[in-house]
Amino acid sequence: MVRVENISKNLGEFFLKDVSLDVADSEYFMILGPTGAGKTILLETIAGIYSPDKGKVYLNGRDITRLPPRKRNIGMVYQDYMLFPHLNVEQNIKYGMRSRKLSKQEISQKVDKLANLLGVAHLLQRHPGTLSGGEQQRITIARALIMEPEVLLLDEPLGALDSKTRIKLREELRRIHSFTHTTMIHVTHSFDEAFLLGSQMAIMNNGEIVQVGEPSEVFRKPNCKFVAEFLGVTNVFRGESVIANGIAYININGLRVASATIRDGQVYTSIRPEDVLLSIKPIESSARNSFKGEIQDISDTGTIVRITVNVGVPFVAAITRRSFLDMGLNQGMEVFLTFKAVDVHVF
Amino acid sequence: MFSRLREANFKITTILFGIVLAVFIVALLIGVVTHTTPKALIDSLLSGETQFAIRLSLITSVISTIFCIIVSVPAAYALARYNFRGKNILNTILDVPLALPPLVAGVALLILFGTTSFGKGLAEAGIKFVFTPLGIILAQFFVNMPFMFRVLRSTFQGINPRYEYVAQTLGSTEAGAFWRVTLPMSRNGLMAGSIITWCRGIGEFGAALMVAGSTRLQTETLPISLYLNMSCGELPLAIAAATILIVISLVSLFIFEKFSGFAHVF
Repeated sequence: MVRVENISKNLGEFFLKDVSLDVADSEYFMILGPTGAGKTILLETIAGIYSPDKGKVYLNGRDITRLPPRKRNIGMVYQDYMLFPHLNVEQNIKYGMRSRKLSKQEISQKVDKLANLLGVAHLLQRHPGTLSGGEQQRITIARALIMEPEVLLLDEPLGALDSKTRIKLREELRRIHSFTHTTMIHVTHSFDEAFLLGSQMAIMNNGEIVQVGEPSEVFRKPNCKFVAEFLGVTNVFRGESVIANGIAYININGLRVASATIRDGQVYTSIRPEDVLLSIKPIESSARNSFKGEIQDISDTGTIVRITVNVGVPFVAAITRRSFLDMGLNQGMEVFLTFKAVDVHVF
Repeated sequence: MFSRLREANFKITTILFGIVLAVFIVALLIGVVTHTTPKALIDSLLSGETQFAIRLSLITSVISTIFCIIVSVPAAYALARYNFRGKNILNTILDVPLALPPLVAGVALLILFGTTSFGKGLAEAGIKFVFTPLGIILAQFFVNMPFMFRVLRSTFQGINPRYEYVAQTLGSTEAGAFWRVTLPMSRNGLMAGSIITWCRGIGEFGAALMVAGSTRLQTETLPISLYLNMSCGELPLAIAAATILIVISLVSLFIFEKFSGFAHVF
């Protein structure tokens, strides 16, 4: 288990402010954040490249804050590979074996095993400079895994790859994780990656961790405006919440939205576009919120069509392409939006 | 049309300047090599004095280059990688010998090693620099060290420190990562730096003259030989030394260009 306790580190341009984190054994932990959020230096501090100005790092209950990287048994994979260009693929993979007391035979068995696991066995005699990005990243993963690390740190490992290779390698990472049960901490700025790989997720901004939780949980219930916006949650509004008869009514620019989350005063709300039902006629349902408005904008993203409706504020509803065509929606049409009070997330 | 013509004229004029310069340089070199008859040149090349000068030049320049490498590698690494107080001042001071006229550098070395108790102590212990071949090595080292240092510093700066970070997570110490990763990756820079340092060592005259003097068949390197024979009218011997120096420079330049990408350091 990795435990980061109140870590602060100032490197001028990049910094960490009082970061705490718990990563359970065998977890696939995602760290998501915009560029400059301090994700990389958090990983590098866990790896022992930097020693923190303040705070502690524990690995399986042991304080490793002052331990040099070579004694931590934590693997590192960078976005731009960092394969040693003067060594061939095989020499790269077995680089770390010099610090282990193993026979030549044992080492070459390990190399073969990992090369096969990652599908790079046919590349062993090549030099990194002659390989594609996807191949290079597979080799860096093999090079890290041969050490049988207790934790594998991945710093935007898919960031430099084209989209096809990225999807392939993403699946590969999932497979490797389920196969080796190595604890993984994976930094990314792609929500897709976080959602598809992570069992837990932390959002970072400005050198701080802003929210931790299961990806779907964080996605549904962002705890602040930054997270909501960063995750691309639309329909984020600010309003005044008043409680009446055990329910909260939030006044958003004249629109009175009912919410199951009881909180009064100034609040932010977010309603996921897929939780909003769009209809041509008003519908009778248990949903407390129903508004009439005019279609302002239609944005077709392929399978999902996002419709912006002006109900006093611009409100986005996501519907399937099929229902979009069935309803024959046009700009300027009058439609109804309906959503439940429990889907109105308040923060 | 007219402006097109003017543009072409401009292009041709600038190119002409380049050509004139090149012709000037080539003419100078050919002038030296063809000044005597080929027979006189070969005889002089094979003379004992020239042979001595060649040997002394080779030995001193190789040794001084090795010392430059030994000292510059760690210093250049430190200034490329680490941030510490006084780094800028250190960087500037290490470049000083580059700006110093070699004669001044020679005088400074002569004063330190010839007149101070430090230099006298060394001499008593058997390490004599003044008027010895050791002095030539010292002079070459001092004057040419900044070249090695600068090439290496820029080489190390060009290598992403993350290579070393990864090596450290793979069980290497900081020094181990340097030996197994950074240094092999710096091979081209190291080669380029060694060649330019060596080439300049062979040609080193002013500082060496001050420290080691110009004693025939004792501290007579190729440039000293050229100087001695020139001043006493032994033209063929002087030309022989000059010819060898020209050949060495051209070959070094060629090799240096092969490890390209480092010329910008100067």
